[in-house]
Order: sequence, then C-alpha cells, then structure tokens
Amino acid sequence: MFPIYKKELQSFFYTPFAYAMAALFMLLFTLPLASAISHLENSNTLPFSFTEMFYSVILYFIFLLPILTMRTFADERKNGTEVLLMTSPVSVAKIVIAKFLANLTVYLFMLVCTLFFPLITAIKGEVVVSQLICAYIGIFCWGAMYIALGMLISSFTENSIIAAIIGEVVMFILLFVDNFANSGFISQFPKLQSVLYSFAAQPRFAYFSEGFIRLSDLVFFGSAVIVLLAWTYISIEKRRWNRG
Amino acid sequence: MITIDNLTKFYGNNRAVNHISFTINDNEILGFLGPNGAGKSTTMNMIAGFLPMSDGTVNICGSDITKDPIKAKENIGYLPEIPPVYPDMKVKEYLSFCAGLKRVPKGKRKDEIDRVMGLLKIKDVEGKLIRNLSKGYKQRVGIAQALLGDPKFLILDEPTVGLDPNQVAEVRALIKSLKKDHSVIFSSHILSEVSAVCDRVIIINKGDIRAMDTIENLEKSFASSLVLHIKVKGDKTKAASIIEMTKGVKELLDINDEGSSIYSFAVQLEGDSDEIRDSLMSQCINSGISILEMYTDKPNLENVFIELINRPVKRSGLEELLEETPDESEGSSAEEPAEEKEEE
Repeated sequence: MFPIYKKELQSFFYTPFAYAMAALFMLLFTLPLASAISHLENSNTLPFSFTEMFYSVILYFIFLLPILTMRTFADERKNGTEVLLMTSPVSVAKIVIAKFLANLTVYLFMLVCTLFFPLITAIKGEVVVSQLICAYIGIFCWGAMYIALGMLISSFTENSIIAAIIGEVVMFILLFVDNFANSGFISQFPKLQSVLYSFAAQPRFAYFSEGFIRLSDLVFFGSAVIVLLAWTYISIEKRRWNRG
Repeated sequence: MITIDNLTKFYGNNRAVNHISFTINDNEILGFLGPNGAGKSTTMNMIAGFLPMSDGTVNICGSDITKDPIKAKENIGYLPEIPPVYPDMKVKEYLSFCAGLKRVPKGKRKDEIDRVMGLLKIKDVEGKLIRNLSKGYKQRVGIAQALLGDPKFLILDEPTVGLDPNQVAEVRALIKSLKKDHSVIFSSHILSEVSAVCDRVIIINKGDIRAMDTIENLEKSFASSLVLHIKVKGDKTKAASIIEMTKGVKELLDINDEGSSIYSFAVQLEGDSDEIRDSLMSQCINSGISILEMYTDKPNLENVFIELINRPVKRSGLEELLEETPDESEGSSAEEPAEEKEEE
C-alpha cells in the first residue's frame, strides 16, 4: 500500500502539479480578501472572518478538486498500468485507500499553503484562532468527501478530462442541493425535501464555520467518504468483470 | 507447478476462451501460440488474476488465484501485451516502485533493481523518463518489472514485440536462462521464436486448444502427410511404376519433365518415411534408374500451425452460421468443437 501512496505523491510533487494547484488555490483566497479590503471605507478596523472567505472559495474549489482527482484511475487505465497494480500482491481496497490518502495529502498541502493569510493577518491584527481551526477542520472534511467523489468518477472513465468535467458538474449539483431543497417547488414535498437536505454539505459546514464541531457532522463526512470509496472499489471490480 | 483447469471466458455471448485445461511444470517454458484474437491475451490475463474467469480455476504454486489472490500473485511476474509503465517516471524510479509493490524487502531492493537492469541491459537509461524511451526500451523495462522479486512463475505476453533482431536474440536467451528456476508461459505469434525457446507448445485458436505437445511430437504427428521429392534419370514410365508399386506410397502427386530424361516426382507417403525411402531407393537402383536427388518436405511447426489454425475454415456454411448466432446456449457451444473433430 505504501509504495502506491509514495508513487502517487511523487507524481504530484515531482511535477509542477501540486505547486500549481496550491498556487491557484491561494489565488482564489486572495480574491475575497482583496475585495474585503477594498470595501474598507472610513472605519479603521476590518470586520472580516476567514470562514466567510471559505464560503466564497468553495465555489471555485469544486472546480479545482476534480482536476486533482481526475487522473487517479482514468490515467492508470489509459496507460495500461492498471494491469500492473491488479496483478501485484496488493488488494484493490488497499489501492483505493492509498490513492485516496495521496490525494488527501496534496489537498492538505493546499490547505496549509492558505495559512499564509491568517498568518499575515495575525501580524497586523487579531485572528480568532479557535474559529479558524474549526473552519479548517470543516473544509478539510468537505474536501475529503469531494476527493472521494472525484476518485469515484475517475474510476468510471478512461479519459481524465471527462472525469474532471463530470466531477465538476456533480460537485456543483451537490453544492447547491440545499438551495434546491429549500426551493418553493421541493418544499411542497416535505419528505423529499428532508431526503435532499440530508445530502447537503453546506449547512453542515456552516456549523463548523461558526465554531461547532458536532459529532453528527463528522459522522456525515466520514460515512460519505467510506461509502464513496467503497463505491470506487466496486466500480473498479465491476470494470474488470465487464471488460471486453 | 501451475494448473489451469477448465478455464472459460465469455464476453457477453461471445466465447473468447473455451474450457481450456493445461499444466505448466516447474522449470518449463510453455509457448502459447495462436493467431491474433485467438484468446491468448485473455487467457494470460486470467492466469495473472487481472481478468476474472467465467468458469474454471487457476492454481499457482498451490494457491488459487480467485480464493487466495495475494498469495498467488506473489509468485507471478507478468508482462502484459502493452508494457505497464508510467510515462512520467524515470526508469529507476519505476522499478523501485514495482519492487515495493512486489514486496521486495527494503534492504534488497537496490540489489534486485540492479540485477534486473543488468539482465535487460537498461542500465544506461536508468535516469531517463520512460516517456522518452523507444518502444524496445519500454518493452525491456516491462520485462525487467516482471522479473523483479524473482517470482517463480513468469507470464510474458509477446515479450519480443518491438525489439530489434539483436535484442530479440538477447531476450530469447534470457528467457531460456530463466528456465533454471522458473516456470515460464509466453505467448507469441512468431513461430520460429516458439520453436527456438519452448519445451512445449499450446496452439490455440478462437478460444480452443488445437494442440498441446512438444514441438518434435507435433511435427511427427504431421509426418503422415509427408511428401517425398525424387529426381531420377531414366525411363519415365518405368520409374513411375516402381514408385507407385512401392509399399507405403499413397499417391503420385506430380511428375515434371526436366529435359534430358530427368524427371522429378512428388510422392505422397504413408507410414514410416525412412523405410519407404530406403525401399524406393533400392528398387530404383535395381531397375537401373539412377537417383539424382531425394528429399522430403519436412513438416515444420509452421505447417503444423497453419494446418491447425485453418481447421475451422473447413466448416460447412450452415455450421458457421449456427456458430455466429448470438443467442446460443452455453451447453450447445461447448459441444461444438467435439462435433467438428468427428466430422473431420
């Protein structure tokens, strides 16, 4: 399992890929920050929260994560290296977990890079550390779920670009599922509304951003990751059976 | 020892591999011969545990590939049709990754990588990106990967494709040298290669085993259809009658007049060719006909191969149509090859 993890990390960090992703991610953080500063008018203090920044970043963020995960299985299939992994003494479950951990590591690296902004703020002003930590935990959990989703989609296809596009669409829908659930049409069917609402990650993230770490939210993200990874495993196994 | 029993693969209704069974002994090189699309790669993928089989079992050194895949796969080195290399890795990096994947102990990894790089002569490209390597080098990196960790059983799917003649000879010699402590199954559609390297061959077409034997035996079994060519000087009718009268001559196929009373005959033989040849020769000499030239068409593997492969072509039109009917049941399709043989 470890060799696969290491190989995946090498493919991210020995190429400009991880750095470009991190740089792009930081750029996305600068935009809301810069716009907040430009709205600073006559008052001397800037009432501004990082969690709000996270909110505005998440929309861009769902366009970045599929790019991170698109190659996970699609490229293995295209290069014919899938055979190498499948015929080596490593179980498919371990392959999936190793790849998930590698993607998660890159994601963590991207998040660590964004600590740059709170650090700068801390030099010139004050940062509510506890809230910031909660927000980071929240966005980490959210990202982990989306990475698992992206990997699942990557396991469906041989073309990484298609994997990225489908991933973006699916993540976009998932991001706005709560808005959709709250719409007038859906609220006519309260049962459907509650089902849809239970898939929504955004309200759960809201708790994190306000400084709450609720067990139910952690369970939600944890179980989503497990279900998606299990699905990825099944999808890979199924593809072996359906080959040809 | 590797035992393959009743291996079958269906792609939808299409039968790619049809109930094949064979064993590969220790220290044996088994050639897997067949035209393109015969089911060679499918079979090898199933033996290596990449493709699940529709039916049958594969047992590798005591472990079943479906029931105990991890243990079985530890004993396999597999080179698929397309070398499974990552284009954006360097050769040494890639081999080190594969060594880890095959659970070569950490302390031994470096020596092991050096060993296989030495065997395949890829040391000079160890720092190059695989994407920049030529086809031949990629193929050799793929073979190196299969040899890592010294697995007992090697599956090589067309290992010499894309190599230049010099490298082909080297790889063949390498495969021969592997025989000492490995079992090897290797597929090819190049006949000379198989006859040069293998102890036994399996000829497969359309998912059925057409023949499985040593090369000598295969050639011998086709010796019954030997054609003897004799060039004589003397009287044409006399020579022809002697030849026809000789015991063991089945048919006089062809007579050629080559001028100045030299005739060449093509004779179809039946039975022990050596005996017939001797009696033919003595009778000709006794009758005063001098023999200028005498040779038999030695049936080589190529003839055997073409003969075996072309058998299904002899099927009648109706049978072929039935064969292609998509909704045939499994039972009837299994019986078909047996029927064929009877008719022939």
